[in-house]
Amino acid sequence: MMQGSSYSMRDTFGKLLAELGEKNKDIVVITADVGDSTRAMYFREKFPDRYFNVGISEQDMINFAAGLSAVGFKPLIVNFSMFVMRAWEQIRNSVARMNLDVKILVTHAGYSDSGDGSSHQSLEDIALMRVLPNMKVIVPADPDDIKRSLPVVIQELRGPLYYRMGREYSPSITTGVDYDFKLGKAYVLRDGDDVAIMGAGVVLWDALKAAEELEKIGISAAVINLFSIKPIDEDTIEYYARKTGRVVTIEEHSIYGGIGSAVAEVLAKRYPTKMRFIGATTFGRSARSQRDLLDYYGINYKSVISAALELVK
Amino acid sequence: MEKGGSDGTPISLEELNKLKSIAERARRNVIRMLFYDQTIHVGSSLSSIEILTTLFFRYLREGKDPINRDWLILSKGHAAPALYAVLAEKGYISEDELWKIQDISGLLQGHPEIFIPGVDMATGSLGQGLSFGIGVAQGIKMKGGTGRVFVIMGDGEQDEGEIWEAMTHAVTRKLDNLVAFIEMNGFQLDDSTSNVKPKDFLPDVWKAVGWKTLSCDGHDFVSIINTIDEALKVKAPVVIFAKTMRGKGFPVIENSKRQRSSPDDARKFLLNA
Repeated sequence: MMQGSSYSMRDTFGKLLAELGEKNKDIVVITADVGDSTRAMYFREKFPDRYFNVGISEQDMINFAAGLSAVGFKPLIVNFSMFVMRAWEQIRNSVARMNLDVKILVTHAGYSDSGDGSSHQSLEDIALMRVLPNMKVIVPADPDDIKRSLPVVIQELRGPLYYRMGREYSPSITTGVDYDFKLGKAYVLRDGDDVAIMGAGVVLWDALKAAEELEKIGISAAVINLFSIKPIDEDTIEYYARKTGRVVTIEEHSIYGGIGSAVAEVLAKRYPTKMRFIGATTFGRSARSQRDLLDYYGINYKSVISAALELVK
Repeated sequence: MEKGGSDGTPISLEELNKLKSIAERARRNVIRMLFYDQTIHVGSSLSSIEILTTLFFRYLREGKDPINRDWLILSKGHAAPALYAVLAEKGYISEDELWKIQDISGLLQGHPEIFIPGVDMATGSLGQGLSFGIGVAQGIKMKGGTGRVFVIMGDGEQDEGEIWEAMTHAVTRKLDNLVAFIEMNGFQLDDSTSNVKPKDFLPDVWKAVGWKTLSCDGHDFVSIINTIDEALKVKAPVVIFAKTMRGKGFPVIENSKRQRSSPDDARKFLLNA
């Protein structure tokens, strides 16, 4: 199956992190014994004095970062998505409640830790994070989206942020597309009139593939990259709901409380629209690749096509 | 040195009497808060009065520069009424605010929030203060500041896993600008600490992982002061096990698991005291 050029989310992230460390001396990186796996090691190699491995202690990691933030540092927590969730209450009660400038940058989200199975797969994190006051939630689609958005969110945004990435699998989605990241703004990857496919992350590759296939049978599909999940671009969501009258959401996350839910919340108040939700409904399982899992659970272009056809008929 | 921070100098009788009268007013004000809200945690608050009074009136160096001032983190956030009563003595908040504690129109929340003047960390969920204190202490050292960090925890709070995470972390960082208190009042919410999870072994554990452990009588100013003075000389993180009494000075709940009391009991106490 054609997946475009493949390049690593975490490697792109780690190298960029080290570059950002050059530009801002207040940046400190904190991890809980996953510096190599997350590629925070690139930062460690350049700035050992500003790199902290707190050991396998996620709760301590969050409040340690909160304390560093309170005296003027810019702490970046780098960890697996799943294990940061272990300290959700610390994130809520310390970081979000005090509105501290702590950035939580996670890898291994969704099914991306395919082999390790359900204990390591994070399918609930967007729901948990977007419910928190003060917290912003960003989900880049591919390494190019990371390059666009990470410097902006680290250098320019103050306050708590959850930034969600996968591991290796990263089909090209936004390569060569000329746009800038702006918090709260969606980006239209493809215009269309009959159905709008909205989502974020690597599954946008499936959204684009589905749109290509739909075009062959005369259905015009728009594809919207909602990489700013919170705040979310209500205007663009409403515009495409009005334009097409049909919305399909796709996410590598539970359909309960995730990206589809966020879109539905917008449309329920601004323009109630027929929708279909594609995403996870169960815990995952082990597999040899992330792609196998996406296909196994039907979070792929075939499901998008089926959902679009169901809405269009 | 900023205002405050008279550590090291022997305490005069005059200062001792001053601390005693401040603590007594704070104690009475905590009990008086029962007239306005019966759900406040009186027992835990009364066990913290002398430690808070000592820190605020003898040690904490104030200032706007976050790295050249001292920090006070009330990790046992349910003792907020005691903190507020001492903050009122210090002039951070007006005494009138005390009577609006937990009222929707009031400033003072049931647990500390950072929008309250004099509060350094929003707490209330147990086990989180020490990790935050480690972050502050580490940041101060990295920036070459002189600030010190004091964290007050409860004995029941020691059940939390994050305490273990933080305890071992502070030693790794060699933080000699960090002083933690563990108040040993012998009770947690449901029962005595010995019935829920024994705590007697705690000093051995803290010592074993590398903390300098000291102990004091948490209601005796001289004992508290001598111990803090000793702690501040140690080139390692220090934990002070402070023997305290839940409900200290308020006989109807003293040394019991009772956290709360009635306005009637408060009135009788204040009239007779």
